[in-house]
Amino acid sequence: MRKEESLVEHLDWPLFITFMLMLITGMATLYSVAFDDLHPAIYDVSMMYGKQLIWIVVSLFLGIIVFLIDSDIYRRFAFPIYGFTLLLLVIVLFMPAVHGARAWIGIGTMGIQPAEFAKISTALLLAKYISGISVKQQNISSVMTASAILLVPMVLILLQPDAGTFVVFTSFLFVMYREGLTFDPIILSFVNSIPGVRFKETWVGSHFIPILFVMIFISVITLLLNSVQLDFFFLPFPVSGSIGVISTLLIFSILAVLFLQRFSAKRERTRGTVIIVLGFVLTSSLSFIVDNGFNSLATHQKDRIELFLGLREDPNGKDYNRNRAMAAVGSGGLLGKGYNKASVSSVESNHVPESETDFIFCPFAEEWGFVGIIFLFGLYLFMLIRIILIAERQRSIFNRVYAYCVGMILFYHFAINIGMNIGFAPVIGIPLPFFSYGGSSMMSFCMMMFILLKLDSQRKDVLR
Amino acid sequence: MNFDIRRYVILSFIILVGFLYTFRLFYMQVVDDTWTLRAHEVAEKRIEITPPRGVVFDRNGMKIVSNRTYFNLMMVEDEIKNLDTAAFAKLIGWTVEDVRNRFKEIVKGEGTYYNKITGKRTSNYQKIRKYPFLKELTLEEISSIAPHLENFPGFYEKVTSMRNYPFKSGANIMGYLSEVNREEVDADRFYRPGDNIGRSGIEKFYERELRGRKGIKYIVTSALNNAIEPFADGKYDTTARQAEPLKLGMDMIIQSYGEKLMKNKKGCIVAIEPSTGEILAMVSAPSYDPNMLVGKRNISENYPKLALNKNMPLFPRPLQAEYPPGSIFKLVQSLIGMQEEVITENSGFPCDKSMVGCHNHPSARNVAEAVQYSCNPYYYAVVRRIIQQGKKKGTFADAEYGLNKWHRYMNSFGLGKTLDTDISGQRPGLIPDAKYYDKWYGHHQWAFSTIRSISIGQGEVKLTPLHMANIAAIIANKGWYYVPHFVKSIGRKGPLALYRTKKRTMVNSRYFPPVIEGMRRVVNENGGTASMARLNDILICGKTGTVQNPHGEDHSVFIAFAPMNNPKIAIAVFVENAGFGGTWAAPIASLMIEKYIKRKVSDKDKEKRIIDAKLAYISSPGE
Repeated sequence: MRKEESLVEHLDWPLFITFMLMLITGMATLYSVAFDDLHPAIYDVSMMYGKQLIWIVVSLFLGIIVFLIDSDIYRRFAFPIYGFTLLLLVIVLFMPAVHGARAWIGIGTMGIQPAEFAKISTALLLAKYISGISVKQQNISSVMTASAILLVPMVLILLQPDAGTFVVFTSFLFVMYREGLTFDPIILSFVNSIPGVRFKETWVGSHFIPILFVMIFISVITLLLNSVQLDFFFLPFPVSGSIGVISTLLIFSILAVLFLQRFSAKRERTRGTVIIVLGFVLTSSLSFIVDNGFNSLATHQKDRIELFLGLREDPNGKDYNRNRAMAAVGSGGLLGKGYNKASVSSVESNHVPESETDFIFCPFAEEWGFVGIIFLFGLYLFMLIRIILIAERQRSIFNRVYAYCVGMILFYHFAINIGMNIGFAPVIGIPLPFFSYGGSSMMSFCMMMFILLKLDSQRKDVLR
Repeated sequence: MNFDIRRYVILSFIILVGFLYTFRLFYMQVVDDTWTLRAHEVAEKRIEITPPRGVVFDRNGMKIVSNRTYFNLMMVEDEIKNLDTAAFAKLIGWTVEDVRNRFKEIVKGEGTYYNKITGKRTSNYQKIRKYPFLKELTLEEISSIAPHLENFPGFYEKVTSMRNYPFKSGANIMGYLSEVNREEVDADRFYRPGDNIGRSGIEKFYERELRGRKGIKYIVTSALNNAIEPFADGKYDTTARQAEPLKLGMDMIIQSYGEKLMKNKKGCIVAIEPSTGEILAMVSAPSYDPNMLVGKRNISENYPKLALNKNMPLFPRPLQAEYPPGSIFKLVQSLIGMQEEVITENSGFPCDKSMVGCHNHPSARNVAEAVQYSCNPYYYAVVRRIIQQGKKKGTFADAEYGLNKWHRYMNSFGLGKTLDTDISGQRPGLIPDAKYYDKWYGHHQWAFSTIRSISIGQGEVKLTPLHMANIAAIIANKGWYYVPHFVKSIGRKGPLALYRTKKRTMVNSRYFPPVIEGMRRVVNENGGTASMARLNDILICGKTGTVQNPHGEDHSVFIAFAPMNNPKIAIAVFVENAGFGGTWAAPIASLMIEKYIKRKVSDKDKEKRIIDAKLAYISSPGE
């Protein structure tokens, strides 16, 4: 009796309420998108919404169990849980393929997708591992171990193949970055093997996540300019796009060096200049490699990349799904078409395939318009920021790492899934948390949340 | 080392993505219309229901233009399974190669649309859409194909309608339809590619009256192109409505009779009801069966043949062939002379053959006799007096003044200008004025003696057969006319306002009786030039003409109206290369008049002689 009181007392109500609001909004969207005149009841289990309702009820039931169990169990059993999901990921490879992927254990609607649960178990094990090492112990072996924890399920998932979930696993890199577990030791061992060089850390190594995104940005710009020939009045010959990118980088690097020489402390100058020069060499060679690499690709691979970058249109062919999705989203307007009025993305009209699962953002955007989007984004941003605040207030590193894992996984899902619908991300099939139809993802996301809420509610009981 | 600061890197990532996405969505949903348009294009379908074209009746209420059911063979690529191309080609009577090519053609032709944003033709071919594979199959053709279609999934039949001309006559009046071109689609929002539009004749002039109102249905469709629901509960839908029928003043009985009479001859018959200006018949010989130009298949097969035929069946002679009128012109000259008071009805001139030849006849003592004898020297004298009235100093200036006055008279008879009839393309003919001769001879370099051949309807003067028939109508009306036209009523409305306005000539009605008397004698007195046109019970007034033709046999021409009191029909007959006007044109006119007034022909021998006569080698239009 006392325990339940303490749960109510210690539960993070803002997060819990946001979570519940999302479940309700998601269920309402699915009911609208899959609505069938002949089966209007929301609990009609022959319909998708009936089934989804069952999954939600089951998930809530699991949540109650999670709340009743002491949170210590996750720390203690992290490894067995991880091992068990790995076993499932192996078993799933021997299952019959559905739509070209061996992602399901069991048949049809009663099947489960182990990859969805692998996210939780990997998060738990990563949290347990990171909480077990001290900052001083961060060396090559700890980085490699943490990477291995991620890589084993990633490889198994890629074998299914399930590119979407594979990409989601890279979200753990953000967590490692937060915990200072970077690839710096590896880079250091290379750099320090040069005679006479003795670095304590490299800036590149410890900030590889932001640098990674800078690199992706430069690559995309290079590709966008790949076929462009620039004419400059002072040059006798046209310049290809990548050379333009490299020259721009060079100009900025020179400016940065000059800036550094003028304004920074003497001690910093050499180090800063080295970083800038190194940065320029790395980025420009990246640009060069991407440019030439792209040109040497086979035509169909080029096509895919060009389609993704919007350099080519193929609205009825390879680009069909995204084109229809964007049409549906864009047609929502400011106020939307109204609940149950989605004409492009309803399941019945079927212009947007998978509009009940991976593309469920479409009907929501079409029916509620930009006003609905503001509400939805508000919920998402609130949820993510709240999770990070919760993470940062934990006394235990285990709790903090786990909370970051949950936050980053949800962030990846939101960003990539919605990005797919607005032309900002490639079409890789990953569900929108709490919205997309599907038992495994619903249960996995709910479990993730409930475990987080439970850990947070007991944060004062735990020191490590 | 303290990594706490890194939480802000992560937080800023999250917030950055949130803002980026918000801006993007604001642009997509609120600012930019592209995606909304795309959604309309994808999910809504505008179905147009083209009503059957308006039907056409003749003056007796006979349906002369109707619509007939045809079939299109539609195909849906996605539903085609294991197509046995050889068997399918055999079924529709094509080669395997043709069938393959047709598939490619559909993707490149019907499977594209004009993209207004890019201004290019863009493919919107979809395997799940229906496209016509074969168009315009007749009932006979489809009934040999349809029973076997179950062996070829993905092919369907679809009903459509096209024109049908049950009487096979009046091709040059009705005109024909063909598919709209790109410019027409761009110019008028009514048309969609594949629609038909009137290309000539009544079909062209009354296009707007005949095409009716398209029905438009907006529906929300699924990706499989199934209708899901009416868009906005059908708020924007309109129903298709067939146009109201047109009623022509034309009499199909004499139209087809006239075509029969003109068989194996070149020329025209134009008949007008004088009291209304309604055209009763307009025969252009040789002609063709209007059904030859119904539908794309027929047009592509027959049009080149008709266009290349040396007898020019597509040429609408009654409106566009400009002939010298010959002696029938003397009627108008008499009227102008009397109105100008340069002669009276009792003026006589000797038949002095010094300037122009004439046939042997007593000298005309008055206008009636001049018409009766068709005396050439008489009209030289009359027209000399009209042109050279002595009102200006000097012969040349006087001739200029006189000719321009004469020109105005001629214009008031509708001559030398286009009659705005309801078939476009009418030619004005030629009535020369002073400017015209100035160009030829120089200013003040000509006088009556230079241009005298216009007196007897030769030389520069040219009229179309419609002008000629209108002269007969004017004389029948004693001085006025309605612009000759075909359409008597459009639905419950009468003819266009233009055709309800009486046009008066510059000649007073009191000068007409002597000319009419002369015309009566031409037909009904012994020694008249058109005794072959005489009927026992209908008093015909007429005037023959024999048009000198430097290229061959003279043209035979005759204009008439009947009955003399209370005229019901005015007619002009022009037979090319047939010789003397009284021999061919006059009897044809009398047969037409009798057929129109009495509905039967008494002189079967005369009829047989005309029908059997071959006055020109006419190859069949299909050759």
